[in-house]
Amino acid sequence: MSLRLRPSHLLNRRSFLSDTMTGLSGIALTQLLASERLLANADDQKTPIRPKFSPEQPALARQPHFPAAAKNVIMIFCAGACSQIDTFDYKPELIRMHGQSMPGEKVVTFQGAQGSLQQSPWEFKPRGESGKMVSTLVDHIGDMADDICFLHSLTGKTNTHGPGENFMSTGFTLDGFPSIGAWATYGLGSENNELPAFVAIPDPRGTPQSSVNNWGPGFLPAVFQGTDFNAANPIRNLARPDGISNREDAATRAFLRRMNERHLAQFPGDTELAARIASYELAAKMQLSVPEISDLSTEPEHILSLYGANDSTNELKSSFAKNCILARRLVEKGVRFVQLFNGAYQTGGEGTSNWDGHKFLEKQYAVHGQILDQPVAGLLKDLKQRGLLEDTLVIWCTEFGRMPTFQVGASGRDHNPSGFTAWLAGAGVKKGFSFGATDDISYKAVEDVVSVYDFHATILHLLGLDHERLSFYHDGIERRLTDVHGNVIKQILTRG
Amino acid sequence: MNHRNTIYLCCLGFVCFFNLLSQIASGQNQPKISFADQVLPVFEKHCYACHGPETQESEYRLDIKSAAMGIGDRGDQPIQVGDRKHSPLFLLVSGGDDGERMPPVEAEESLNKKEIEIIGQWIDEGAIWPDELANEAAIGLGRRKIVTDHWSFQPVVDHAPPKILWQSPIDFPIQGAVDKFISKRLQENSLHPSLPADRTTLIRRVYLNMLGLQPSPEQVRQFVTDESEFAYANLIDRVLESPHYGERWARHWLDVVRFGESTGYEVNRDRANAYYYRDYVIDSFNNDKSYQDFVIEQIAGDSVGADVGTGFLVGGAYDIVKSPDKNLTLMQREDELADYVNTTSTTFLGLTVGCARCHNHKFDPILQSDYYSLQAVFGGVRHGERKLKEHLDPSAGESMDTLESERESYQQQLAVLRKKLPPRGALAVDLPEINAKKNVDDFQPIDAKYIRFEIFRTNGAEPCIDELEVYSHQDQKNIALASSGCKVRSSGDYQNNPKHQLKHLNDGKHGNDFSWISNQQGAGWVEIEFPKRIAIDRVVWGRERNGAYADRLATGYTIEVSIDGKDYQRVSGSARRPSRQADSMDLDLEAIGRLSAPDASKARDLLARLKQTETQLAKLVQSMPTAYVGNFSQPPVIKRLYRGDPLSPREEVYPDALAVLGTLGMTSEEPEQSRRLKLAQWIASEDNPLTARVIVNRVWHYHFGRGLVATPSDLGKNGSAPSHPDLLDWLAIRFMENGWSLKWLHREILSSSTFQQSSQPRPEALAKDADCKLLWRFPLKRLEAEAIRDCVLQLSGKLNLQAGGPGFLLFKIDRENVHHYFPLEKFGPEHFRRMIYMTKIRQEQDEVFGVFDCPDGGQTIPNRNQSTTALQSLNMLNSKFIIEQAAFFSERLQREAGSQAKDQVNLAFDLAFARAPAAAERQDAEALIQQFGLASFCRAILNSNELLFVR
Repeated sequence: MSLRLRPSHLLNRRSFLSDTMTGLSGIALTQLLASERLLANADDQKTPIRPKFSPEQPALARQPHFPAAAKNVIMIFCAGACSQIDTFDYKPELIRMHGQSMPGEKVVTFQGAQGSLQQSPWEFKPRGESGKMVSTLVDHIGDMADDICFLHSLTGKTNTHGPGENFMSTGFTLDGFPSIGAWATYGLGSENNELPAFVAIPDPRGTPQSSVNNWGPGFLPAVFQGTDFNAANPIRNLARPDGISNREDAATRAFLRRMNERHLAQFPGDTELAARIASYELAAKMQLSVPEISDLSTEPEHILSLYGANDSTNELKSSFAKNCILARRLVEKGVRFVQLFNGAYQTGGEGTSNWDGHKFLEKQYAVHGQILDQPVAGLLKDLKQRGLLEDTLVIWCTEFGRMPTFQVGASGRDHNPSGFTAWLAGAGVKKGFSFGATDDISYKAVEDVVSVYDFHATILHLLGLDHERLSFYHDGIERRLTDVHGNVIKQILTRG
Repeated sequence: MNHRNTIYLCCLGFVCFFNLLSQIASGQNQPKISFADQVLPVFEKHCYACHGPETQESEYRLDIKSAAMGIGDRGDQPIQVGDRKHSPLFLLVSGGDDGERMPPVEAEESLNKKEIEIIGQWIDEGAIWPDELANEAAIGLGRRKIVTDHWSFQPVVDHAPPKILWQSPIDFPIQGAVDKFISKRLQENSLHPSLPADRTTLIRRVYLNMLGLQPSPEQVRQFVTDESEFAYANLIDRVLESPHYGERWARHWLDVVRFGESTGYEVNRDRANAYYYRDYVIDSFNNDKSYQDFVIEQIAGDSVGADVGTGFLVGGAYDIVKSPDKNLTLMQREDELADYVNTTSTTFLGLTVGCARCHNHKFDPILQSDYYSLQAVFGGVRHGERKLKEHLDPSAGESMDTLESERESYQQQLAVLRKKLPPRGALAVDLPEINAKKNVDDFQPIDAKYIRFEIFRTNGAEPCIDELEVYSHQDQKNIALASSGCKVRSSGDYQNNPKHQLKHLNDGKHGNDFSWISNQQGAGWVEIEFPKRIAIDRVVWGRERNGAYADRLATGYTIEVSIDGKDYQRVSGSARRPSRQADSMDLDLEAIGRLSAPDASKARDLLARLKQTETQLAKLVQSMPTAYVGNFSQPPVIKRLYRGDPLSPREEVYPDALAVLGTLGMTSEEPEQSRRLKLAQWIASEDNPLTARVIVNRVWHYHFGRGLVATPSDLGKNGSAPSHPDLLDWLAIRFMENGWSLKWLHREILSSSTFQQSSQPRPEALAKDADCKLLWRFPLKRLEAEAIRDCVLQLSGKLNLQAGGPGFLLFKIDRENVHHYFPLEKFGPEHFRRMIYMTKIRQEQDEVFGVFDCPDGGQTIPNRNQSTTALQSLNMLNSKFIIEQAAFFSERLQREAGSQAKDQVNLAFDLAFARAPAAAERQDAEALIQQFGLASFCRAILNSNELLFVR
């Protein structure tokens, strides 16, 4: 009989090392673990990839890990938790059970006890060739159903807004982690070196609930953070200050440049000095390119109408529509990642300024639906007619879903992260397709259940990035957008 | 493979060999199945992930012989020797036991037929499990003994500095050990150090590194012209004595400990009194507090007279959005505890213990149970405010001492009286010990219209009762409910908390959220009045019927009934319960009645005085400042959570240190405060191989822009290896020998030629070591956000050096439920203080300087990025703040240098760069000033690289 041991003994049984063989207590656990890691790396090629970039041009376009389906992303984020039940998740059984109590155990959710099951106040109608049932609250978007890939089985980890927004935007419920847009630009840089690589467009009513954490750099270099501006509010400090003439400004900057170059000449090879000089050049370019891109006066009337940007009866809607046009103009110019917010922080009571319809859902959603619907549908149509949908991925999402019941003593729905809807359209995803499902009353995802990690893994995948490899070393950990989770949802991709 | 693994392999082989020999020797009934070769691999492949060393699902582990063969949680023996058909283990793996199958279908691949047969046959053959592979050493420890040879876990070693000689022409005087160790590595890599920096560069470097401020032209001149051989040593003395040193270095520390002054998350409310901790850090550095004390105070300051230190524990973000959803609440609490554990371990130990929340650490010798041991240390910590005892003014401090000694004297006199107590009489001890969940006091039926429950002692704080039930004799119903018309009164109620209200006492609802709390420490009464006189025979009460809380428990009480509301008759009380406090100093209401009349009157008098003294003490406490430094209470039992899931608790875990470095021998009986104190002392011990190394390395990191270990919060396997391990240890040892003095450490580093060398780049050295890891020059560094802002204000002459106290706010706050922050448009002198005094609102960065990689306190930042962006440039060029400061700067130049452009340029260069302009520079500047005015020139200076970099 051979005395040979199978490798599995060596690799798997830590207890043997640390406990059984007390006489051999000098054997290092970590050594064994390290050899395990080495082998694992050799096996599946999952070694971390930390993109390299020069300090002078940190956002220079970089190759993806593999050929990408999408070049750019527009991520529409409905802050406040937009109800799947009143928009895209059609449940005939819920209509039948309207007014009955929730089957099964009594559910205690975020704000407390639950009342009876409530069908949506809005009717659902079949749309397009796919016949997808979409609510009349989002009629215009519904009309685009044949271009959309719906994801009905998304699940989250928290049912409070701050952590929920963090989770959807950064992959962590905690504050302080890099946003998905920061990860994407860290991985890929940008095609346009005169505009920020990652732009966050806040709602006309203000920033979302987790504010800048949605587009923050976390521990990534600050150069990858989102730059926030919208059609109404330009980038802070972009414009030449009042009282300084164009000539004075130019002369001052030329003087600064000469001063910095003389300084650099004394220290050849110090790239950080050169990088700062370059950043002033980029700033100057942005001073021209950003006002130009934000100037919608060149948009023809029919385009404004398509988005509803000239709807004089609804100022919030026309303002949001302008943000949607801005999003299109940005991806048109090669901006890598655009996060477009619909809904702001909580002000004036729950659900007034965002989708947090706890108490007066019908009244509040009637307002929010108007603002969201035509502009987003217009964006999809416009991207499509310009051929931009070929390499732009449009995502619609929200931090979590809502309950099929109304809260006790109220006419609105409480938070529910157990099953909610997001959708994708454009580059690399199937059209007129629905994936995953909640149960009969849209309470819980039951079919092809996916997590926010899977959602993120899929987005990165479409950008040609391997979510398990794109990493940044921070505080002892090789950090990823998807932490240690996530599987690409292959079933929704046009090519496996 | 290294030699240790080889030894291991050989030994294990040896074991198998002997096993084989013994089997051969036993002769008959030669088993066909080998445990080592056939059974063990199946266990390993399919079972150990859930029933092995890391986790023991259903409390069952299959990697230890006695545990595997013993009694399972179903109460049966999993392996019936010789009988597979009656062995649950076999039935489960083969799927024969009512269709239940292990591993669970959704989790793992099932055993194939061959594997099932191996297990079956092995059992039938007698389940022979050789003792050599029994693995019994792993059992019963609760904590597994693990070992590692990773460098940072080994004791710090005192290495003699190497002998170094630099041949001329290299001018690099060896000042001490630092230079020797650095030189050695340079020589090994065929590199040489740089010439000393000129004095102007040096003083600017020392000021910016140590104080975060520029030296004044006078200070520069004085140093440059100082011919004394102690000129540089004196300079070091001066900066170390400056109060601005603490302000500068506190900023570094606050990054590491993720300190912020708002809650974070969506509501992001500001914490108005968190700043005490910021001032504490500044003062600690300025006073050169021993780092040992600094560590202990931050973890357990409440036990060493430094309450403010524990601001460290609760300095992070905290989700204050609470919900009745229990799962959410549990997860929020787990996240809070993780924040305490992670921050403590990365800050002081340089270890990422947080990785072990769900599983054993992947790289470091840290077990999942280690994480929960630390969690048990911090399990009683909660976010919130507390009184700072050390902040009493001196006279109040004196009266506090007097009152405390009075209190002690009364207590002693009462103790004497207590000794005279006759044995308990009237009420026999006939009830079980008091329990936080539920207590039943039954008694002979008695008519009552009023029933009073009076509390005179608790296990801490004001008493809490979640429900008081009184049962009628006749039909055994709770008749105390408000819904049956009862009225309730009390001695006084806890204020302003909707969870704790008097009406909750008899609302029929249980639990902390529906409870009553008295407004007196350790005392209070409640009384229920029934609609009519009725015979009762039982009272049922508890602190928290669901068992979630055990604090605030009434441990001394009486129950009295009355018919007219005037004369009361005692029917029950804590005297009927066995007392753990038999030797207690207090003499309670109960006991007085059993003393002789003169003693009783004396006791009443003493008790009254005691009460008065305590009231006065309480008033003094009231006068102490309140700060955001956390609250503490005895934690519940802490259990390991399977995959970190609060809904999957496993075995109990005791508070402890990391197993790989020893044990503190605590149990769940350990008082809360002493858990933290013991851990803190363990961290701050000279025997801890990590603590001194971690702080020495952090200080090095801030001086040179890169640590001797490039990952300052991770000295584990996944961190960087030290570039100069011997130097790191040498510094750590001397640092400890020198009383853990950070100022000693600064002096040692600043005095070295390594620190004093020029930063001039050299192509051949850049080619070999572009990152300057080996320190062939002083590395170039960009100033951080705070230092840039402070220096801009210094130049404009507007810097307000007011130290300490409440910070200044750069926002207008709209305090709705969710707080909204709007950047200020106008600035005044209060905003021109150093940026360390800016109230640090999470997520909301300073609108000009925030983009300079300034952390917001969301996560710990051990090393800031140094990125360069267009937004930084736009802010520095165009922001209102900078334009205004440029104007102030130009006013100052005119004021101090007069109206000549030449003089203005000279002064500006002197102030900003500590040098005179070259002729070409001056001409260039004068031309700009002539055409566009002085402010344009000032705007450019504030944007210049020479200002923003430390050379």
